[in-house]
Amino acid sequence: MAEAALRKFRPTAANPWDYAKAAHLLHRAGFGGPPEEIERLVALGPDGAVNALLNYEQVPEEGGAVDFSELRQLFADALALRQAGADENARRALQNRINRTQLEKLQEVREWWMSRLLTTRRPLQEKMVLFWHGLLVSGFPDVRNPEFLFIQNALYRRQALGNFKQLILEISRDPAMLTYLDNNSNRKGRPNENYARELLELFTMGIGNYTEQDIKEAARAFTGWTHRYADFYFDRAQHDDGAKTFLGRTGNFDGGDIITIIFEQPATARWLPRKLFEFFVHLRPEESLIADLGAAFRRGNWEVKPLVRTLLESEVFYSPAALRTQVKSPVQLVVGTARALGAPPGAARALLAAADQMGQALLAPPNVGGWPRGESWITTATILDRYNFGGLMSTGRMPGLRRPVLQGFAPANVAGLVPATAGTAGEVIDALLRRLLPGVTLEQKRAFALWRAVGGNRAADPVQATPPRVRSALHLIMSMPEFQLT
Amino acid sequence: MSPGATRNAGMTRREFVRKGLTIVAVGATAPAFLTRTALALNNPWDTAQVQSQPGVPDEHILVVIQMGGGNDGLNTVVPFSDEAYYRARPTLAVPAKDVIRVTDSLGLHPALGKAKDLYDKGAMAVIQGVGYPNPSRSHFKSMEIWHTADPEGRVVRYGWIGRYFDSKCPVCEQPTVGVNVGPALPLAMKAESGQGITLEAPETFQWMPSLDGIGEKEQVELFRLLNAPAPNEPGTIDFLRHTAMNAYVSAERVREAVGRYKGGTTYPNSRLAYQLRLIAQMIAGSLPTKVYYANMTGFDTHAAQRGVHEALLRELAEGMEAFYRDLEAQRNADRVVVLAFSEFGRRVAENGSAGTDHGTAAPMFLFGRPIKGGLYGQHPSLGDLVDGDLRHAIDFRSVYATILEKWLGADPAKILGAPFDRVPFI
Repeated sequence: MAEAALRKFRPTAANPWDYAKAAHLLHRAGFGGPPEEIERLVALGPDGAVNALLNYEQVPEEGGAVDFSELRQLFADALALRQAGADENARRALQNRINRTQLEKLQEVREWWMSRLLTTRRPLQEKMVLFWHGLLVSGFPDVRNPEFLFIQNALYRRQALGNFKQLILEISRDPAMLTYLDNNSNRKGRPNENYARELLELFTMGIGNYTEQDIKEAARAFTGWTHRYADFYFDRAQHDDGAKTFLGRTGNFDGGDIITIIFEQPATARWLPRKLFEFFVHLRPEESLIADLGAAFRRGNWEVKPLVRTLLESEVFYSPAALRTQVKSPVQLVVGTARALGAPPGAARALLAAADQMGQALLAPPNVGGWPRGESWITTATILDRYNFGGLMSTGRMPGLRRPVLQGFAPANVAGLVPATAGTAGEVIDALLRRLLPGVTLEQKRAFALWRAVGGNRAADPVQATPPRVRSALHLIMSMPEFQLT
Repeated sequence: MSPGATRNAGMTRREFVRKGLTIVAVGATAPAFLTRTALALNNPWDTAQVQSQPGVPDEHILVVIQMGGGNDGLNTVVPFSDEAYYRARPTLAVPAKDVIRVTDSLGLHPALGKAKDLYDKGAMAVIQGVGYPNPSRSHFKSMEIWHTADPEGRVVRYGWIGRYFDSKCPVCEQPTVGVNVGPALPLAMKAESGQGITLEAPETFQWMPSLDGIGEKEQVELFRLLNAPAPNEPGTIDFLRHTAMNAYVSAERVREAVGRYKGGTTYPNSRLAYQLRLIAQMIAGSLPTKVYYANMTGFDTHAAQRGVHEALLRELAEGMEAFYRDLEAQRNADRVVVLAFSEFGRRVAENGSAGTDHGTAAPMFLFGRPIKGGLYGQHPSLGDLVDGDLRHAIDFRSVYATILEKWLGADPAKILGAPFDRVPFI
C-alpha cells in the first residue's frame, strides 16, 4: 500500500497533469504565483516542473543582506564602558540604545526575509527555510540579538535541501539556538537540560524514544558548547568529559557523539520524513508510508533533497487526501496572495504585520514547538483576521494594522487581473478564481455572492468590471473558507 | 460595521442576520449548530430564555488564568523556615526576610503583595502540592493533560471545559459560552458542540468589508452565502464555515457587551491586565458566557530566573487585584471565581544558569469573593523528593471537580470520567 502511494505520479486521461495540479505543486513547493507561472509549470510536465523547483541552484541567488555593524559597535562600546568602570547612567543609556537598535534590526531582518519570500525565484528554497524555522525553532524574545537570528536563517537557506544530520550538528553550534535553549549556560557540574530535551523531543526523535535519564546524560555531553558573540566556542573547562550512558551506549560522549547515537536510532529515520510529509502533503500519513520513507532516508545517508523529491513526485501528493486539504499558514496566505496578485514593492512591512496578527510572527514563534498546523490555525479570532486581510489587499486597510505599518503599502493593482474580453459576471469572476482559487469549482449559490459583487445576478449578466467592483470581488473571494485552503 | 455604511431603514442588521440564518435552518438537513444559533439569536439578551433549572446556578462564571511554561511554585509559596530550600537554591532562594509571611513556615514571593491583599480579604485560596501521577515534564504533553484532564493518555479529543459545555448546561448552546482572550482556542475548551470563541481585541473582532455599491444589509447576506455550512461538505471546509459563522454571530454581541461597560477601575499596563479588563467588560455587558480564559506565558525560567519570575508574579498579582476591584465596582464579585494554574512546577535544585528546569508538583490558586480563602493541602516535603522533584498530594482533577460541582453545577464524575475528592475552597 505504501509503495503505491510513493510511486511517481503518472498522468492519465482520467487524471491528467493540468493547471490545477501545477497550481497545487507551486503552492505546496513554493508560495503559488500568478497564472503565467502556473502555466509555465504545466508546460514542463510533472517531472520537469519538480526538477525546475528542486534544482534552484540553477537560478541566480538573490543578493542582499542586513548590516549589523552599528549593533556590533554598540556592543563593543558597552564592553568598553564596563571595563572603564563608567557610571550607572551612562551604561544604562547605552543599554537602552542597544535595546532599541536590536528591535529595529529585528524588524529589518523580518522585512528582509518577507521581501525574499515575496519575490524569490527559488520558492522551494524559501519554503524550506520556513520549514526549518518552524521545526528547529529559535526566536525573539529569548534570542534578543537579531544578527544571531539572521545567521540561523542563513544556515537554513544554505542547508535547505542539504544533509539533515549535518544540519543537526550545525544547529547545535548555532548562536541563536545556543541562546534560545540555554545551552550557552549548560556547564560542567550544573547542567541545563533544555537543549538536550528539545533536541530529542522535537528535533530528532519524539517522545517515547528516550528516558528522562537520557536527557540528563545528553545535557552533560553538551556542556561547554557555547558561543563568543556570533561564533561557536567550545569551552573546554566547562565541559563534563566524564562517562555518560545514552540510549544504551556508554562513553565520554560530547555533543557530536550524542548526535551520532541519535542517528543510529530507528525513530530518527522516521522523524524528518513525517515532518516533511505533514508539511508538503497532508497531516495523516500512514505509518507504513513513513516507515518506507524513513528506510530510504537512512539509506540515502540523511540527504533531504531526494526525500523532498519523492514527496513532490508521488501519487499521494496528487491524491484527494492532499489536493485542497491544507490550511494555509498565515505566511502562505499573505505571501501566496501577494504573489498571485503581483506583490508591489513596499508590501513587506504590512504583510508581516498581517501574518503577525493571524498568529505567525516570523522569527518570533510562540514557543519551541513552532507554529500550529491544519485546523489549529483557524479560530474565531484568526478567521476574521484572514477575511479582513482581503480588505488589505483590495483597499489597503485592515483592522489591527495602523498607519505606520501601512506606510508604503499599495493595494493590489486590479488592472490586468481581468481580461478586457470578460463581459459577463461569470467571466469576470472566473478570471479572478483562476488566479486565486485555481482548480476550484464553486457551487452556484456561493458563486452568486461573487457575481453580486461585480453587479450581476446571474453568470450570464453583462457587467462592467470597474476597479471598485473587482476589489469587492477580491475581498469576497478572500472571505471564503475555500480561500483558506491550498 | 464598515465605515460609512448606514442601516437599512426597514430592518436592523441583527434582524436580518436572524432572518437569513432561519432561512437556511428550515431544511431537515440543516446542521444542528445553525438551528441552535438561530434559536439563540431570537432572544440574545433575554436571560429569561436561558433560566436555570432549580438549584443550578447560571450566573456563575469561571475565569481561568493559564500560566504557561511551568511556574516555579517553590519560589511562589516559599517554605522559608526550611533549610533544605536554601541549600538547594543558593542563588535563587527568596530570602526569608523578603517573603510575605502567611504562616510561620510559609510565605508568598515579595512580588505578590497585591495578591496578599486579596488573601487577607479571604478572597484567595492556595492549593498546595497539586499534580498528577506519573507526571510529564514535557510542556506540550503536560499542558495537554491539564487541558483534557486525562493523565493516562487515553485518546480524549475534548477539553475538560469543553466537556462541561457538551453537558448541556444552560446557555451552553451559545457560541459565546466560552471566551478565550488570545489567538487560539485552548484545548481545554474544545468541545463536540463546537462552541467557544476566541478573540484578541474588540477592534479586530469584526468583519470589515468595503464592498462597492453594496449596502450593509446585503453585505450580511453575502457573508452568509459564502460561509453558511451546508450538508456533505468536506470536514475542513465544514469546520471553517462553522468557525466563520460563530465568529460573525459572536462579534457583534461581544462588541455590544464591551460597549456597555462603564469603567472606572485603573488596571496596570500588562498583557494579563488587558485580558482581565476585557473579560470584566464582557461580564459587565452580560455576555452569556460561563467560562473565560486568559493566558500568560514566559514561566519557563531555565536561566536567569529571578527578574523574569518576579515580573510575572507581579503581573499576576496586580492584574488579579485590579480585576477583583473592577468586579466589585460592577457588582459582579459574587459571580466570578478565578483559577490560576501552570502545567508543572520546577525542580527543587537550581541549575547552573541561575534558573530551574522542569519539575512536577506546584500550587494552584483560586481568587474571588465566593472562595473560602486560605491554604489547602500540605506544602510538599523537601525531604521526600522523587528524582529531585516534589511529590504531589492533591490531584488537579480534584480542584476541577470541586469547581464543576460546587460552582458550575455540573456532574464532575461524568465530565472527568471518575470521581475525585473535593477540596473545600468553595
